[in-house]
Amino acid sequence: MEFFRKTLDPVIALAAIAILDIFLFLQLGAWTVGGGETMMTGLIAEFFMGDEIRRIPFWQLVFEPDAGYWKIYISLGMLFGAVLGAVMSGEFFIRYPRRLSEWIMITIGGLLMGIGIRLAFVCNVSTFFGLTPELNMGGYLAISGIVAGAWVGSLLYKRLLGV
Amino acid sequence: MSIVGECTIAFVFGSVVGLLVQRSRFCNTAALRDAMLFKTYRNTKALLVAMMILTLGFTGFITIGEGNPMRFDVGLNQIVGLFLFGIGMVLAGACTVSTWVKAGEGNIGAVWALVFTFAGMFLFSLLWSFLYWPPAPSAMTSDPALQTLQLGFSNAATLQEKTGIPAIAFGLVQIMVLFAIYRAILRRERSDTTGATGAD
Repeated sequence: MEFFRKTLDPVIALAAIAILDIFLFLQLGAWTVGGGETMMTGLIAEFFMGDEIRRIPFWQLVFEPDAGYWKIYISLGMLFGAVLGAVMSGEFFIRYPRRLSEWIMITIGGLLMGIGIRLAFVCNVSTFFGLTPELNMGGYLAISGIVAGAWVGSLLYKRLLGV
Repeated sequence: MSIVGECTIAFVFGSVVGLLVQRSRFCNTAALRDAMLFKTYRNTKALLVAMMILTLGFTGFITIGEGNPMRFDVGLNQIVGLFLFGIGMVLAGACTVSTWVKAGEGNIGAVWALVFTFAGMFLFSLLWSFLYWPPAPSAMTSDPALQTLQLGFSNAATLQEKTGIPAIAFGLVQIMVLFAIYRAILRRERSDTTGATGAD
C-alpha cells in the first residue's frame, strides 16, 4: 500500500489531525497528552503503593487515579497507531541510544518534561493544539515558556553533542 | 456520553494521530529545535498550518456556543513549567507525542524518556503535596489571584462575552499572524534556495 511505502507530507498529516482535533473538541475537549500521562502515573503508583497513595494529597485533590479517564486512551491509541504504522511500513525495529551521554540527556529530559507538565498544568500538545487556538491566555504564556526553554535546550544540546 | 464511549473516541483519535505522526515523521520538538538550531522548517510549517485550522475551527464553534474549551486559570507557573518542559524535550529528543510514537517504533530511548516523564510527574506530586502550588483546578476562581501568581481565566469565549465581538473575529486576527509567520518562513526558504543555486 502506497501509504506505508512513502513518507507522508507533515503539512497534510497535521491538517488531517487538526480536523480530527476539532471533532474531538466538540465531543470531549481538545487533544492533550499530559493529563493522560499524569493519570497513568497515578495508576502505576497506585499499583505499587496500594492505598498508601491516598496519603499523598496531590492524588486526592488534583488527580484521583481513575482508569476511566478518557485522556489516557489518547496516549494508548497513539502507541497503537505508531506500532501499526511502523510494522506495516517495515520500520519497526528495536534500537537503543548508543552513548552514555544520550542516556543521561534522555533521563534528565524526561524528568524535566514530567515536572514541567505538572507545574504548568499543560503540555506542548495542549499548548499548540488546544489552548492557543482557543485564544486562551495560558496558551500565549505557555508558548513563551516553551520557546525560551527550547532555545536554552538547543544551546545545551549544541554544547553537549558538539552539533 | 458514557465512559466507554469517551474512551473509545479518545482511543480511535489517538490511533489515527499515532499513525499519521509515524508516517509523516512529524515532531513538535523538531518544529522548535530545528528552526532554532538548523534553520530548517519542515515541522514548523506543519505546526503552523495545524494551528491556523484549529484556530478557525475552535473560535468558529466557540462563537456559536459549541465545543468544550479547556477551563482552568492561567498563571506564571505556565511559563516556568513549559520553560522546563522545553529544555527537557530538546534534551530527550522527543515531546509528549513523539515519545509515544517513537516507543511504538521500537525506540528504547523513547520508552526511557516516558518512564522518566512519569517519574518527574510523581516527584512533582510529592512536592505539590507540601507546597499546594499552583492551585488545583477545583480551587480556581477565574479571577486574578496575585498571591498565588494566578492571572484568572481568559479565552475566546470570555473575549466574546466582554467585548460583544464574535470570537471568530479574534480568531481571524490570530490566523493572520500565524499566516504571516508561515509566509516569512516560505520566503526565507526561497531565498536560501536561490542563494544556494546562485553560489553554484
